[in-house]
This record gives sequence, structure tokens and C-alpha cells, in this order.
Amino acid sequence: MKLKQELETLCNLDGISGYEDAVRAYIISRIDGRAVYTTDNLGNLIVFKKGAKAPENKLLLSAHMDEVGLIATYHNADGTVKIAAVGGVDARVLAGRRVRIANTQTVGVIGLRAVHNLTKEEKNKAPKAEELCVDFGCETAKEAEELCPQGTFLAFDTAYTAFGNGKITAKALDDRCGCAILLSLIDSELEYDTWFTFVVQEEIGLRGAKTAAFGVEPEYCMVLETTTAADIPSAEDEKRVCALGAGPVISYMDRTTIYNKKLYELAFATAREEEIPAQTKTMIAGGNDAGAIHLSKTGVKTIALSVPCRYLHSPSCVIAYADLKNTKRLVKGLMNRICSL
Amino acid sequence: MSFDFRQTLEILTAANGVAGEETNAAAAACKLLSAYAPDARVDDFGNVVGTLPCEEADFPTLLLDAHIDEIGMIVNYITEDGFLKVSGCGGVDIRVLAAQRVTVYGNGGKNVLSGVMTSTPPHLGGDSTKALELDEIFIDIGMDGKAAKENVRLGDRALIETPLTTLAGEKLTGKALDDRSGVAVLLAVLDQLQERKTCYKIAVQFSAQEETGERGAGLGAYAVSPDYALAVDVSFALTAGEKPEKCGILGKGAMIGVSPALDRKMSDKLREVAAREGIPAQVEVMGGATGTNADAISGSKTGVRTALVSIPLKYMHTPVETISVADLENTAELIARFLCAAPVS
Repeated sequence: MKLKQELETLCNLDGISGYEDAVRAYIISRIDGRAVYTTDNLGNLIVFKKGAKAPENKLLLSAHMDEVGLIATYHNADGTVKIAAVGGVDARVLAGRRVRIANTQTVGVIGLRAVHNLTKEEKNKAPKAEELCVDFGCETAKEAEELCPQGTFLAFDTAYTAFGNGKITAKALDDRCGCAILLSLIDSELEYDTWFTFVVQEEIGLRGAKTAAFGVEPEYCMVLETTTAADIPSAEDEKRVCALGAGPVISYMDRTTIYNKKLYELAFATAREEEIPAQTKTMIAGGNDAGAIHLSKTGVKTIALSVPCRYLHSPSCVIAYADLKNTKRLVKGLMNRICSL
Repeated sequence: MSFDFRQTLEILTAANGVAGEETNAAAAACKLLSAYAPDARVDDFGNVVGTLPCEEADFPTLLLDAHIDEIGMIVNYITEDGFLKVSGCGGVDIRVLAAQRVTVYGNGGKNVLSGVMTSTPPHLGGDSTKALELDEIFIDIGMDGKAAKENVRLGDRALIETPLTTLAGEKLTGKALDDRSGVAVLLAVLDQLQERKTCYKIAVQFSAQEETGERGAGLGAYAVSPDYALAVDVSFALTAGEKPEKCGILGKGAMIGVSPALDRKMSDKLREVAAREGIPAQVEVMGGATGTNADAISGSKTGVRTALVSIPLKYMHTPVETISVADLENTAELIARFLCAAPVS
């Protein structure tokens, strides 16, 4: 399947942390017969694909299946539903949005008091997440409880859309980009035997990656991710972090990991040799599953390659398709080099 | 009654009509109006106007009004990197803008472009308790500066477009329900008048530029010179945190306006008709001008006796405005009955 179509299918599925079932089921349907797989007790999908040769080093490629979203916590007397964020969601991207009960067509809205009735101060105040409620159109708590019981997962109701010059907007690009790349590698002929993990619960603390890495016991790991790009007019210099269109992001350090220096250098060398654009981050910000994986057992030599992504953790993330393709190319080049180190 | 509000609103809300650029919404509404008013047309200002055929020369004229425009944004600058800077066109709620999907009607509407409102990621620090100022937000159309300038002109409009969707209990959510709901109600009224006899010569206008200061309605009223007018707009339905005395309740019927700026006898008559016919309705009391087209119409020429009926709506001026279909039906029923009762003296 084409990478773009794969990404569209993956983004339009809902897989809030802890409820990745639909994403996992889809991925299994894609790899069935092409690779061997198991799932562990947390729901991680662990895949092994035979290559032409056995590698010198056992390599794991990992991406996470889950996405940020919301969970229903309480039913108000007026029929609206209180929510909590699952993963890091800025309340400012929730107000005035549509959400849906994950993997259904049942839509609710997150409204606000009318702007007309606010004081000047209130107009400029962002609503707090705990003040926001989802309105499904129910009129009583009981009705709401029947439609959306406590613990129901809610996803942003935005559809994958290609726009501009080669840009894509969707929810859950973090980290369906990584999943799409892994699937496309599993589809292809591999030079070396390779392990792949599609993990759960990254967004609530890198929880799936921890047990998945424990089970696989790799020597090397490549984490495939998306990372914050702030190449927008309201950010300057180093605060832009990285830019769309400038290729995969190779990290040296973020808030959860100091990356293996040799792999960092090898990644840039690979990019140069294969003439793939690449960049690094200009801020120590964010974190990803590498934080859990590189500390697994006696340690795993780990690198992260990320697709730069604007408006991360919002209903409308934006990437450049060229970056996704170039990330895949770099992953391919780098995996062969790591396996033969 | 067979009037299909869902379908009508789907047509009306799908069309774009940011204040001052109502062409598409006006065309959609004009087409629907022409089923009842053979002379339906769009006037020079952008108002949709028409009259019902009437053989009674001595009937008083009553002007029905709802506004066709919607709030949106207008492009006023394009950065070197191709991001669009916008101003509000009408009372945009800046609290809902970050990371919204938008549609930009580039080059005067010839290029329909998808975009995303920028949002500042958390790592940049900043105060997440503060709503982003319109100054800090841009539209990202995924193009570089050169392409952006080819596809977008200053003055083009942009809109947050959410398709009309049904919620539980026959409620509808979407954008521009303020005031396409009013337009739909008036079309339903006209539909009913095909089988009922009204006591007025009926003129209709779906007026332009209400959201930027009730500008179209006054011009339309000037041209018609009506004896009476009835404006249909939306008003606040109670949600958490709002003041009950300022709000109606969603699902409890039309909100009959009572205000020093409205004709007292017409307001009373509407209340009387609702009570007599057993049509669910509520009263909305305002201490001064109404902030609707009723203000502009009542002040036209030597003055027009004007009433206001509002449809309760939740989350006004957001992309998730929400109404109840039952309220639309009851509002149409109330107005149709009112038009069939003898005019107030």
C-alpha cells in the first residue's frame, strides 16, 4: 500500500492511550502472513520479520499506536459530560471542537459560554480543561450516562486531509507516521532479520515501550516518532525547534533520553551518503519511547528519528509528506548499517 | 407538516457567507426563497429579497427578516513564509481558534483552500491560561510565501467549517446556525402560508452584514417601507456558567423578544398567540436595544413597528453552535399563526 494511503487509514482510526484496539487490529490485518507477531499483556504488538541474513546486532524498530484524546469522567445534571485529557492536551485546542466516541459516529461538541456574555478579561482567558464539557445533545445525566458511560474514550473528530503544497493535516499523526513507516518496511524485502514493536500508552508515560523492549531484548533500537515543529510566525530562532520540509529529525537529547552518540553520528552520515535531507532539534524539548527503551534491562543503544510535525497533540497536526518519505528512506539506510555494525 | 429543516439547513449552512461576502449563501437562500416568492433576487448590497404574491391591495405590509451572513475571518496580511494573518469579520471568539481546521476562500472565492490555525506548542512556554490573541494566530495553508500570494489576496475570507451534524434528541450542530436557522424558519413559515391565509402582504429579506453591525437590514427595510416587521435571529440558550435571566432553554420553544426597542403590542400578540395555540414559547426580556436586525429595521425611515423572535442556540459564535429541531418547528408555527391573526392596532 502507498505510504500516504496507509497514513490516512491509520489516522482516521481512533486509538486513545489504553484503547488502541482498532489500530492494533488494523495493523494485524496488514501484517498477517507477512511476519510473525504476538501481543504482550499490555497490548503491545511485537513483530518479527525475517530478512535475507541474520544481523550482527539485534535491532528493534518501534512506534507507538496510541494518540492523545479524552475520557468521560462524570455526567452533569444538564446532560453534558465532564472529561479528562488522556495524554498532554492543551485545553485551548478543545474549545469549540467536535469530538466523537472513539471508533463510532456518535458526535458531541465542546462548547463555551457565548463570547457576547463575557467580560473583557474572560474573553482573553483560555478555558481550563476541567471546565470543559462534551454536549452530545442529552438533556439529563441519565441519558448522557447511557450514551457515554464513564470511562468512554473520545477522539478528535477531524478527518485526514491533504492540503497546500504536499502537506497533510490529521489528528494522531503522532505517531501513526511511525506506524505507517513500520508497516511499509514490513511489506518490503528486508536485508536483515528485524524486530518491530507497535506499542501502547506512550502518551501517558512511555508505558507500553517499557514492557515491549523487555520482551524483545534488543541491542539497538530505532524509535520512529513525530516531533514538535514550531516553524510558525509566532516563534523565532531556536524556539522553532525544527522545520517542515527539512527532512527527518535526528535527536541528540530530549527530556527523556540522551541518545547514543555513535548512532546520532551514524544517522547523519547515512543521510549525507544517501543524500537525504536531515535536521536536528534546536531545543531540548519533548520526549518519546526512547526514554523507556534505552533503560531496558542492561540498556539498549537507542536513536530516535522523527517526522517534524506542527501543532502536535491537537486535532489538526500538520506534516509535510516529503518528510515522511525521507524519514522512511533514512530508516531503511540506517537499519542496514546498524545491523552490520 | 412536511418541511424538512435538516435538509434545508444542510443546504444553507454548507454555503459560505462571511459578512460582506455572502454571495454563495445568498444564492442558496435565494433559490429556496424563489419557491415561494417568484420575484426573489439578491439586491445590490447582498440582501436576498422577495415578496409573496398577494391580491389584497389594502393589506398592510409585513417584512420578515433573518440574516444570511455568518461570522468568519478576513485576510489582511501574508507573511514571507506564506502564513495568513487575519482579523475577525464579526464577533469571532478567539478562545476557539487554536489548531482549528479552516477553509480559505482564496482569490475572492475562486480557490478553496484548506488550512489550519496555528497554535503555540506547550514547549514554547507562554501562559496556557491565556487565550491566544488574534495577533499571535495565523492560518497555515501549507504553502510558501510565493504560492500563498498567488492563491490568496488580501481581503479574502476564511471560515471554520464544521458540517451540519445531528446530536442526540433531534439537535443539530454546526457553523452558521446563527442565523441560517432563522432563514430556515422563515422558509418554513412561507411553506405554511401556502395553505393558510395571512393578513399581510409579506415581504422577505435575508439580510447581509448583520454580524458587522446590522447593516443590510436597514437598507432592505428602506426599500420595502413595511408597516410591520418581524426579525428572526438566534439567542442564548442556557449552558453552564450563563445567567438564567439572560438565556432561554434549548427545546422550550421560540424566545419572544420584549424590549423598549420593540413594538410592545406585537410582542404581546406573539405571547397571546403562543398561549392560545398551545405553542411552546418563552420570553426574552432585554433592557435596551436588541443587538439584532430588529434595531436597524425599526429605525428605518419614519420607523417600523417591529417584533423579534429568537431561536435558542447554545455556544453562539463557535463552530459548534447547537439548536433543537423542535424549537425551529415551534418558532415557525408561532410566526405562521401570528401572521394569520389580525394585525395589531
